[in-house]
Amino acid sequence: MEHQVKYTTNYLIKQLPKATVYINLNYEIIHISDSWIANFGVSSNYKFDTLIQKRFPNLTHKWKKEINNAFLGIKNSASIDEYFNKKKSPSWLEWIIIPWFDEKENIVGAIIQLEDVSEKICNKKKLEKLEILSNVKSEISKVGSWEYNALTDKLIWSEMTKKIHQVPSNYIPNIQNAIDFYKPGENQQRISEYVKKGITKGEHWNDKFQVITAKGKEIWVVATGKPLFDNHQYIGMIGSFQDITEDVKSQQKTKENELLLRTLIDNLPLNVFIKDLDSRKILVNKSECEYLGLSNDELIGKNDFDLFERHSAKISREEDLKVIESLQPVIGKETVCVKKDGTKTSFLTSKIPLLNEFQEVVGIVGFSLNINSIKQKEEELKKLINISSIQNKKLLNFAHIVSHNLRSHTANFSMLLGFLIKEKDDVERENLLKMLITSSDNLLETIDNLNEVVEINTNQNLIKKSIHVNSKINSIQKSLKSLIKNKDATILNFIPDDFFVKGIPSYVDNILLNIISNAVKFAKPNKNHVVEISSEKDKNYSIIIVKDNGIGIDLEKNKNKIFGMYKTFHQRDDSRGVGLYISKNQIDTMKGKFIIKSKVDFGTTFKIYFNEND
Amino acid sequence: MKMTKTICIIDDDAITIFGIKKLLNAVISFNEIKTFINGKLAIEEFQKLLLEGKAIPEIIFLDLNMPIMDGWEFLEEFIKLDIKETIIINIVTSSINKEDRERSEFYKCRTHHFITYNTKPLSKEEIQKITNAAKQQN
Repeated sequence: MEHQVKYTTNYLIKQLPKATVYINLNYEIIHISDSWIANFGVSSNYKFDTLIQKRFPNLTHKWKKEINNAFLGIKNSASIDEYFNKKKSPSWLEWIIIPWFDEKENIVGAIIQLEDVSEKICNKKKLEKLEILSNVKSEISKVGSWEYNALTDKLIWSEMTKKIHQVPSNYIPNIQNAIDFYKPGENQQRISEYVKKGITKGEHWNDKFQVITAKGKEIWVVATGKPLFDNHQYIGMIGSFQDITEDVKSQQKTKENELLLRTLIDNLPLNVFIKDLDSRKILVNKSECEYLGLSNDELIGKNDFDLFERHSAKISREEDLKVIESLQPVIGKETVCVKKDGTKTSFLTSKIPLLNEFQEVVGIVGFSLNINSIKQKEEELKKLINISSIQNKKLLNFAHIVSHNLRSHTANFSMLLGFLIKEKDDVERENLLKMLITSSDNLLETIDNLNEVVEINTNQNLIKKSIHVNSKINSIQKSLKSLIKNKDATILNFIPDDFFVKGIPSYVDNILLNIISNAVKFAKPNKNHVVEISSEKDKNYSIIIVKDNGIGIDLEKNKNKIFGMYKTFHQRDDSRGVGLYISKNQIDTMKGKFIIKSKVDFGTTFKIYFNEND
Repeated sequence: MKMTKTICIIDDDAITIFGIKKLLNAVISFNEIKTFINGKLAIEEFQKLLLEGKAIPEIIFLDLNMPIMDGWEFLEEFIKLDIKETIIINIVTSSINKEDRERSEFYKCRTHHFITYNTKPLSKEEIQKITNAAKQQN
């Protein structure tokens, strides 16, 4: 038996937007809407009961019952149930099955309408979920919400909002008492302003307020609000309400601690800095800023190479790395930092590894105490000690010379006079008197020499002049003519004619005379004696070099005696032992120096350094 | 009275040598007085004497401040010499420096020789004392 679906007979039914089927009492499909065919499919070979059996097996039982009800004229109410759609995924179906009456109100079948409401259900479920989630969130974050309906003038607070206000759950808020909770004065004024602007200009707000709860507790909240409009028509507001008292308190505490720490490190008479693993500054105090001449913001992120001269930066970086790698702090190390402009500063620096909570090194904490002034004083002191020790030595040396040399003559006087008194023999008396005269002459000469030394050391203010060296050497050569001839010596002068030295003329004369005559004097017998005079310049000194190939001095043995008074190394009639002593005093006064190299039998090289700066 | 054989004066000052000789002549008799004008010449002579198996002077008068080899350097070399006898070494110096006196004490501890420290001018009494000591030593 074949039945033709008569969907052409009623075009109206075909076009129904909702999936609809008309069946007769024999379950044969009489009309079917396109939407049914499109959404749930149909096969004309089946009767409706077979169709639903195949398509909606889990619903067949319910539907058959309802269809039978409809056949009896009972209008079923709409139902929803789960089914599996074509893709075998769970879906939700809403259906209604009602009786089909003809014009004479006879039941001729049933009308079945279907709708896939999966999306609706899904949305509903989502909404439920969201609500739960938002409640949980609100509980955790202490964010409450509120809603104001302008049409009904009703304000609704969420549970959390009520909790924050410390009001019971049954508390009924309104705009006025809500505003009253805000701390009187500025806070109330501000929230009122926001509400007004929200309503009139549609502006949002999100701000921090102080609120006094129902129980009189002063708390900090963040309140937000957003006016709602429907079709440009203001209909109300929604917003959130969050208790941030703990945050504010801890923030305040942190801020206070930070301020305390900052004040502390800024006022320490120390440069304090924290560097990261790449030696970039991540914290600096005021002293460090002042030392480097940059602001805090300018310094942050800069490394040593940005701030210091290369060599200095390298040393500092290596030191940092050592601390980072070994985790051993460096304490109170004396360092010298050289800034890019060349300024040197001495520091007593400590570097301590900075560890995070997992005990991993994340940088270093550094403290530097500027000890420049201490260093400077130390240097000055050293200089002073040095000067006074030199002076002391000189004085002692001089005292020694005076006592020794004067005493030796007076001892002779005393002895000779002792003999003279008792001597009866005229010849012997004559002899003693001669010796007394020699002693007296020697004493006079000694006193002259000593006087000369005293004068050199007291006349420190003689003016230095530029001296043409070759003219001096020429006149010395002239005055030593007979000595040079006597020793059969050759003097070779290699000093250029434009060579000048700075010095006190009479001292330079005496020094050159002494040293050149010494070089000539100490010739080796039976040897070609050559004295070479040359010159050099270095950074601070003009140097005259007098070199001979004479008998030389054993410097190792005689180093303490070379410049001593009346110390001679060679038993010669012309060695008085006073020339070098006076020369030494003179060159010292001119802040120059002597450097001697000598080897016995090979000769002596005498370098005279004239100080050009001072 | 046993006669002192040889006396030695090491001093670069002719007047001092003259004076010591004159004083010695007044207090004792002796074989010979050797004089040297620096320590080096004296040491060289002593070395020669030792090589030849001859006696070293029993009394030495030693000046401190001399060219080439001074009294201290002489002492340093002298105590190295292999001399069995106790030689009386009299430092005679114009120095009244405390350090020099202390330094002579230091040498006293290092040698079996008898070292005295005297300042110029030497008096007859001092010479007497020195020569008496020499007699006791022998």
